[in-house]
Amino acid sequence: MNIQFKKGVLELCVLSLLNRRDCYGYELVEYISKFINISEGTIYPLLRRFRKDGYVTTYLQESPEGPPRKYYKITDEGQKAFKELLEEWEAFSIGVNKIIRGELDD
Amino acid sequence: MTRDEFITILKEELKNLPSAEVEDILYDYEEHFEVGLSKGKTEEEIAKELGNPKTIAKSYKANYRINNAENNPSTKNLFSAILAAVSLGFFNLVFVLGPFIGLVGLLVGIYSIGFGFSIGGIGLFFGTFLEPFFPKYININLHPITSLSFGIGFFALGLLILIGCFYLTKYLYQVVIRYLRWNINVITK
Repeated sequence: MNIQFKKGVLELCVLSLLNRRDCYGYELVEYISKFINISEGTIYPLLRRFRKDGYVTTYLQESPEGPPRKYYKITDEGQKAFKELLEEWEAFSIGVNKIIRGELDD
Repeated sequence: MTRDEFITILKEELKNLPSAEVEDILYDYEEHFEVGLSKGKTEEEIAKELGNPKTIAKSYKANYRINNAENNPSTKNLFSAILAAVSLGFFNLVFVLGPFIGLVGLLVGIYSIGFGFSIGGIGLFFGTFLEPFFPKYININLHPITSLSFGIGFFALGLLILIGCFYLTKYLYQVVIRYLRWNINVITK
């Protein structure tokens, strides 16, 4: 899959998961990699950039199974960005599907 | 690759970043390994799934350098940012460098015009006064009032052009930063 394409999709996926609930890094990575073949290490730089840009905030939560886990929480700005990306994606995928399934009017 | 090997390579690649930043970055990967291990994966499996630590480091470096160039504008920081962004391999330096050099050339040209007019204006202005004393060297074939006026005029125009250039430079700097961001990220602010 084209790498530029993957980047945008990855951002959309991460934000959509955080939109539902707060997550820690590993579970985001694990869940997404179940559906898309990605280099898991690309998610952490993305999360870091999201934090710097104000789309997510982080907090630590104690865990019974090891060190405190860093949880990511989406912000209002993050939700706005998510909705924009989602709209773009839906418009795009509908358009592509129409083309490849030949539903354009002749 | 073992966990230590992974973390060591990552740390080495990030050594030019501030240590607080590096520690924060490494924490995420230490945590990732911990959780993975607690779920029964081996270090090798986890490292393999994460991918190449050098590539991961490039991502962090590019983001850091672009932010740095934006917050601390300077030629050096801008070039560091451009190089870091190019190292990610998302865009071809050839397509960036050509237009970029062209723009810089244009900017230098306009600066030169500004300087030329300013200095010429000064020259014309003071030359008018000095002409009677140095008839061999200074030969302005204009009425003194004309040459004085033109002197002031050119100087003022030159100054205006230079001021305009200054703002143009600042603007172009931000344009380059935004272009770099657009190339390596999808969501840009």
